[in-house]
Amino acid sequence: MKLELQQDSRSRILMGLLLFVMIVYVGRLFYLQVIRHDYYVAQADGEQLKSRIIPAKRGVIYALDGNKPVPLAMNQTVYTVFADPQIIKNDEAVAKVVNEIAGGNVRNNFEKLLAKKKTRYQIIATKLTHTQAEKLKAKNLLGIGFHEETQRVYPEGMLASQALGFVNAEGNGNYGVEAALNDRLRGTDGQLRTVTDVRDVPLTIGDQNIHIPAKDGDNIVLSIDRNIQSYAEDALKRGLDKAGASQGSVLVMNPNNGQILAMANYPSYDPAEFWKVQDAAVFNNAIISAPYEPASVIKTFTLATGIDKGVITPQSTYYNTDKIRVEDITVENTFKGLTGTISMQDVLNNSLNTGTVTVAQRLGDGANINRQARDTMYDYFYNRFGLGHSTGVELANESAGLVISPDDSSGEGNAVRYSNMTFGQGLNVTMVQVAAGFSSVINGGNYYQPTVIAGTLAADGKSVDKHEAKIVRQSISGSTSGAMRGMLTSARQSVAYMRDADKPGYTIGGKTGTAETLKSGVYIKSETVGTYLGFGGKDAPEYVIMVQVAAPNRNLEGGLHASPIFTDVSNWMIEYLSIPPKG
Amino acid sequence: MSHSTQYYSARRQQNWGRNQNTTRYVSNVKLGPVAHTVLVALMITVLGLIYLTQATRATSYDYEIDRVDSKISELAAQKENLEIENARLTSLSTVKNSTVAAGMTTPSQTSYTQ
Repeated sequence: MKLELQQDSRSRILMGLLLFVMIVYVGRLFYLQVIRHDYYVAQADGEQLKSRIIPAKRGVIYALDGNKPVPLAMNQTVYTVFADPQIIKNDEAVAKVVNEIAGGNVRNNFEKLLAKKKTRYQIIATKLTHTQAEKLKAKNLLGIGFHEETQRVYPEGMLASQALGFVNAEGNGNYGVEAALNDRLRGTDGQLRTVTDVRDVPLTIGDQNIHIPAKDGDNIVLSIDRNIQSYAEDALKRGLDKAGASQGSVLVMNPNNGQILAMANYPSYDPAEFWKVQDAAVFNNAIISAPYEPASVIKTFTLATGIDKGVITPQSTYYNTDKIRVEDITVENTFKGLTGTISMQDVLNNSLNTGTVTVAQRLGDGANINRQARDTMYDYFYNRFGLGHSTGVELANESAGLVISPDDSSGEGNAVRYSNMTFGQGLNVTMVQVAAGFSSVINGGNYYQPTVIAGTLAADGKSVDKHEAKIVRQSISGSTSGAMRGMLTSARQSVAYMRDADKPGYTIGGKTGTAETLKSGVYIKSETVGTYLGFGGKDAPEYVIMVQVAAPNRNLEGGLHASPIFTDVSNWMIEYLSIPPKG
Repeated sequence: MSHSTQYYSARRQQNWGRNQNTTRYVSNVKLGPVAHTVLVALMITVLGLIYLTQATRATSYDYEIDRVDSKISELAAQKENLEIENARLTSLSTVKNSTVAAGMTTPSQTSYTQ
């Protein structure tokens, strides 16, 4: 009986011990799995769950070649090579391999960077192509790593660079279409959150995986035709060299839908090396961002206003004395000697300031540019022809310009200013505003929204989902437009050197402008800007071309210096568009 | 005094009485608690192995997916480079400087078919 009690006692002790150990284990497990549950889950997630951004591809920008889209700005994956000098043991061997494969892309004296053994990160080569990076990866060099990034490449080089803009190191568009349509081009990044193994391979296990695919940016097709753009750039450079000018612009538009076919500026820059540009002003597209006084090309708008309001016809006459009084100033003609009774056609042919001031007076009481005349002119210039405010063209940094209203509180919208405005002084407008308004003057009266967008690249990658042309308003009547086409054609025909240079059998018209430059509030006669604005086609206008040439301290004229560039581009356009002659 | 005897039988017995084909099987093998425990442990082990097999197979698919993704990225990069090369080779500057372009002449006149 005593023995049984002893045995029972040992069993109980063992049972007690086991129970205690079990309680300790259960308690510990309870602590780890229940009380510290969230902590350990977070720690595990931190090690196993990887979250990464799936970058969206920036949309490609295309130009047109006829009807076929051709890439202007594309994306290329490039690689930056970095080294951990502490891991690299044989600097010379590594340097030799890197030099062999990425010779043109290595940093200067990168061998010295490898020798900085106290550092852990040194960039030794940049912008390696995929092939170069693969070759280097295949060498399995210890202590060498790669960063992948995307950069813009421009297969057409500098073509239309100021219309395109560029993409900075942060991936944001600057200037041009890149900035204006940045949101559409950049797309939306996706996200991948997944459990990974030690090599960062995503695994499908786990219930917290997220995969949101990236939405790539739109592939945008510009209305710019690369052939027209290239020819316009070449013609501009030739013309500027011949005229001795240092800067200029050419704008080519389709007057029947508002599409911009070319916008050439000189000087320009290479968007692939935008960081090398010394003067940031070269990034600006002068056609949309540099308002100026275009001078006599504005007479087209004044005469169109007069005809549309019924106060003149092309045959209406006035008595020209080469000068006309407006309040306390006297306006004179630049071309003098055509005194006597002359027609409005003569006014356009000879660019007579007194004639356009007379039109403004007739918009009023016949003798003064009164409030009614000024209100009418403002309505036509600002509201109908779109001068003095942004056109909304899809390009960044468009300037509004300025057309002062008769309501101006400082009294600047007076008769003197409006007399000057009739011949293109006292207002600031951009070339795109003038060309868009001019297109409506000669196309039947429809003001089309100026645009650089032809559409987006279709799913087949070869055609264009077209962007519809948008008529914003009727600026003048069809009959006024017809009269203006006739007047502009006659004006060009009246100048022998222009008439003789044009291809025979076509309707080509236009107007010159020679503007004195305004410096410190004073007009400088020693520096003038030449402009030519015209159109061409068989019977109906098929293109509008506006040319501007300028240089510091040089007298450049619309007729002598800008018009030859117009003629050059116009004759080429007839061939390029295969426009058959009349008859 | 008359006496009658009543016989009560289970319902099942009554059924057997009606259906002579029904037989009752009683196994001769008796499993004790240890055997039951071993069987349950075996079942758990088999289930665990099935789970492990499936999980491993899923992971092997993940590696396959990763390999295919890498291949897709590789091919996409090659396609991208080829497209760029194609664009450069067909660019206006390349065309203008080509030997074909150098051999071209400007036509003296243009005829249009109406």
